[in-house]
Amino acid sequence: MVEAKSVEARSNRQYFTSYEETGELRSSAGESSRERSLVERLKAGDTDAFDAIFHQNVNQVYRRALRLLGNEADAEDVVQEVFLTVHKKAKTFRGAAEFSTWLYRLTVNAALGKLRRQKRSKEVLYDDYLPKFQKDGHHLVRPVVDWSDKVDDRSDQRELQRLLGQALEQLKPMDKAVVVLSDLEGYLDREIGNTLGLSVAAVKTRLHRSRLFLRGKLAVHLGYSPA
Amino acid sequence: MAKQTRSKRAGTCKQATSLITDYLTGTLDPEITNELEHHLGVCPDCVAFLKTYKKTIQVTQSLLLSGNLPELERSKQKALHKSIGSHNERG
Repeated sequence: MVEAKSVEARSNRQYFTSYEETGELRSSAGESSRERSLVERLKAGDTDAFDAIFHQNVNQVYRRALRLLGNEADAEDVVQEVFLTVHKKAKTFRGAAEFSTWLYRLTVNAALGKLRRQKRSKEVLYDDYLPKFQKDGHHLVRPVVDWSDKVDDRSDQRELQRLLGQALEQLKPMDKAVVVLSDLEGYLDREIGNTLGLSVAAVKTRLHRSRLFLRGKLAVHLGYSPA
Repeated sequence: MAKQTRSKRAGTCKQATSLITDYLTGTLDPEITNELEHHLGVCPDCVAFLKTYKKTIQVTQSLLLSGNLPELERSKQKALHKSIGSHNERG
């Protein structure tokens, strides 16, 4: 089972909406004995167990893929790929990790593979939207404007959402995966790193740069300098 | 613009900006946290930057959470299940 980030540990992150609201995080008590029994039967080749596991998890796999890919047809492909892998490789599942963790990794990696194969509509240079600094390390453009209140005040919320949605699609696939898994699903940097094959430092770097890029996009849209 | 602070790790805006992620997750070393907060205390530019950075995360989250992700339609579940089943039989 992948641990969710503790809310207490994120005391400084009060801006985070409770990800429990998504209804997709599981109890930290771990898998039930019924689930473990199902997995054991699956490993033994029991097709009824496979069917039960499919029906129990299909929507979670689908939603996670949809969130990462933003496309229903692609998310359905991921569902198929994931459950084919579950069937083929169930015998190799050693149970060192919990089944839900394995399923989560299969889903993220299948979605990431799809993201990588997708041709992004337009290559965007992150650097154009990142903050700039003077040689002495101070902000290049001053004063830095606090436009955070402007976001809520705007009447064109749909336009803002459309812009941010586009900006998310312009992120590199791995960066988008890191943003979704961290900022939305609430996984720890270490867990994201394990899943995506990145070091913790690399996860942090990608997350920070992606947020800076998204921030820059918002700033420009609102009429301010990203720097 | 920030006045020169005591710190060499959070003394400039560039350094302070690079620490924001860990600062927000509470995983920054306490000593560096103090240095960063000292910097924020004298640098309105970095305070503005921090607020817009946090707002960006908030807006991103609300975008990703909006729209109540649908369940996979029953008919598609059945079709996928059938397709996986036939793949498995062949395999």
